Formats: sequence, structure tokens, C-alpha cells
Amino acid sequence: MRYSPTLIDHFLNPRNAGMMRAPDGVGENEYEGCGDLTRFFLRVRDGRAVEIRFQTYGCGPTIAAASVASELCRGRPVGDLCRLEAGEIERALEGLPEDRKHAADIAAGALRAAAVQYRARRG
Amino acid sequence: MSRKVYLDHNASTPVHPEVVAEMLPYFAEIYGNPSSIHAFGREAREGLDLARERVARFLTVSPQEIVFTSGGTESDNFAVKGLAWARGKGHLITSQVEHHAVLRACRALEAQGFDLTCVGVDGSGMVDPDDVRRAIRGDTIAISIMHANSEVGTIQPVEAIGRIARERGIPFHVDAVQTFGKLPLNVDALGIDALSFSAHKIYGPKGAAGVFIRKGTKMVAVQHGGEHERRRRAGTENVAGIVGLGKAVEIRARDMHIEAERVTTLRDRLWEGVRARVPEVRLSGHPVQRLPGTVSLLFRHVESESIVLGLDLKGIGVSAGSACTSGNVEPSHVLVAMNVPLDWAMGAVRCSLGRSTSVEDIDYVVDAIEPLVRKLRQAMPVGAA
Repeated sequence: MRYSPTLIDHFLNPRNAGMMRAPDGVGENEYEGCGDLTRFFLRVRDGRAVEIRFQTYGCGPTIAAASVASELCRGRPVGDLCRLEAGEIERALEGLPEDRKHAADIAAGALRAAAVQYRARRG
Repeated sequence: MSRKVYLDHNASTPVHPEVVAEMLPYFAEIYGNPSSIHAFGREAREGLDLARERVARFLTVSPQEIVFTSGGTESDNFAVKGLAWARGKGHLITSQVEHHAVLRACRALEAQGFDLTCVGVDGSGMVDPDDVRRAIRGDTIAISIMHANSEVGTIQPVEAIGRIARERGIPFHVDAVQTFGKLPLNVDALGIDALSFSAHKIYGPKGAAGVFIRKGTKMVAVQHGGEHERRRRAGTENVAGIVGLGKAVEIRARDMHIEAERVTTLRDRLWEGVRARVPEVRLSGHPVQRLPGTVSLLFRHVESESIVLGLDLKGIGVSAGSACTSGNVEPSHVLVAMNVPLDWAMGAVRCSLGRSTSVEDIDYVVDAIEPLVRKLRQAMPVGAA
């Protein structure tokens, strides 16, 4: 198997999948040249992301990346999420094959977009 | 993971035990070069001759009309380029749903100055023979249409196309890699002048294949070197592999009718099972004129690779109709030609059944598909596809 046990676990049992009512921030990212798309919803309290949910359309690693990112970032300051890098998500998945690196990029981009939107809304 | 279910027989098949047994002596005992005139070579030549006779018998042609190659891709390249180069210039006709081995060979010829028409298909993936007739020009030098499509299983009306080609005196090549050994193939009745076939789709080994070339058909070699295969394909033959090819086709001639019936029943059980339990699923390809063991499923709003991965984790091997590589995802050119909408085409999964497939396998696969697709759709942004 070319994927790590962690990746497989998140693919088979995605955490925090689904929509969120009245989120404080929403962001999405579609990978250029690829149909894969991920959308994150944030609930923010006292400047921290207390709840994160996602929807995604993509291959197994893309689903797993969104799931692991939702766990990785819960409870962190929104400012942190604005600077989230794909490498952190990839490490949490215990690596990605070369031709699936985009999975972490999509998740990171969507989460950053949600954090940035939250900040913009607050003015 | 306990159970393993292989439903990717259109990609490759396990080598039949009788084929393995026939091949084994050709590795360490009968190892001479079949072109050598000494006893070692002659012994190897006998194996090659027997395989040629077996293939010829299956196609009801002369053994001299069979050229062995290294695979279906080489066979298609040889047939298409060999026919075109023998004529120097002119117009070629093929279809939009051919295997890349034919399509890209034709595109390469187009880049060399040949004219090319790729006729379209209807929603079931079928070529209209009248489209082929209309595409013919005064300078048309070859027509290449596949017998059955590997992805959706649609069987093309090759007999009608062969009749048109014959009326106009145009050589007709058929890529029969997916039908050789699965369906009866009478090249005379079908009006075929060149036909590609391969061993590993019919429980033979990889690396052994061939082309039937009707006697008198003008054709040039694509690969140059020694005088093998009556100077039509240079290179020492893969004797063990070709011996396996011959045995495989002999077995298929014996078993294919009964097996076609059996896998057709299983194929329909799979489709009925999935249709009854999964919403928003379609069958692609022709409902009737279809390869016995092929079920191409379209799951709306799900990405096919995620289904393939999910089933893989259950020990089930199927193939995806779209592939996501390095961030580029493309639905299959076959589904695009069939005008399948993108939100369906991206969720294409092909199941191809074979001689080992059982009723229990099919029920296991249906049981695995339903919860997987439901779970994948739960995480899906509606309409994102």
C-alpha cells in the first residue's frame, strides 16, 4: 500500500465531514487543472477555531488531508491558520506520494481561505 | 482484509495453470533461438510453430498470416503505421474511442503528414458505420476501428464497417485485444485485413501478442533488424510467452462460450445489485452489445479514484475511469466522446469479470460499494463536481 495507515484511517473515517450552520468563516480551494475541491467552515471563539468542518470532492488523499487538517487545527488561533502550510498537513498524514502532494495543498489553501475570510468579516 | 476479489480482467488476467505448464519447459530446457538451424533452435521453432497454428486456427486463417509481437500496443502500432507507411501518404480513419495505442499512433502519423478523421460515437459508445462511410475520401488508405472498447465494453459494428471497407478496397484494421479469445472472430466474415490481439487478456502471459495480416495486404515493417516473422517484425521472438499465447487461445476456444454465458449472468447481477442499492448510478456503454464481463458504472458526484481506493482497502481490485496524476484529472477520452456529463464521468468505475469470479464475489462487491459511496457522498459539497 502506497499510503500510510494514518491516511487510510482518515480516508475511511473522515473526521468533521459535513456542513456547518452559520459559520464564522468559510473558505474553499480548488486545485488548478484538477477537479479536486475542498471547503472548510470555521466556528471561532476568543480568536481560536473551536470547531472545523469540511466538505471535499476528490481522491482518497484529498479527503484524508481535509480530515486530518480539521483535527490538526482545532483549537488553534486564527492567525496560525492564516499561515498554515501544506507541509504540516503532509507530516500529519505521515507523508504523501509525489503525485498526490496536491492533496495537502488543497486542504491548506482552503483552511487559510476560511481563516482569512473570518478576519475580513471582522474587519 | 480477508477476501480478495479481482475485477480488473480487462487490464490483465492471471495466467491459466495449463498455460504455465506449457510454458515452463521453454525457459530452461528449450532455450534455443528459434531462428537457429541447429537442434536447439529447431526445438524452440516447433513451439513457435505450434502457437502460430493455434492462433491461426482460432481466427480461421493461415499460420503465415500471423505475426507475433511483444504486446497489444506494439501490434496496434505495427498495424496502423505499417499500413500507412506502405502507402506513403493519404487519409486514415479511426474512432474517438480507440485505445491510445491506436489513437496516438494515428496522431503520430498525422504529425508526419497523413490526414486523419476520428469518427465520433453515440451515447452508448458505438460507431455509426455510415459515419465511417461518409468519412471515406478518394485518398483514404486505411480504416482502424476497435472490436470492443476496454473501458465501457461496447462492441462495435465491425462487420458493417468491414463491408464498407471491402466495397471501397480500403484495408481494415481491428484492434481486437479485448475480444480475442472472448468472442468468436471470423476475420473473413468480418471483412478484416489486419487484427491485433494479445495474450495477457485471456489468461496468457504479458509480453506476447500478435497481428493477423491478410495475405496480400501491403504492409511495411515498423521495427527493423533480422529476418524474423517473415521480415515483418524484427527481433527474436519471446518463445515461452508465445507458446503461452497459443495455449491460452486454445483453452479459450474450448471454454469461451460457456464462460461468456456465466460472466454475463454475474455482470448483470452486479449491475442489478448496485442499481438497487445506490442512488444516482448509471451503467455506461451499450446495454446489449457489450463485452460479457464488463460493467462500467458511473457514480454521480463521487470521484472514481476514491471509490477505487475504498474498494482496494476491502481487497477488491477495480479500475478508475478518470485518473488524477500530479494534480491533473481527466475523465476518460471514451466517456468524453460519449458525451457523458462531467459530474458522472468523474465517477466512472470499471469492473471486469473473469473465470475466477463467483456469485459470492459479486455480492461482496455490491455490499462494499453501497456504504462506501454513501460515506464519500456525505463529505461531498453538493454540485461541486
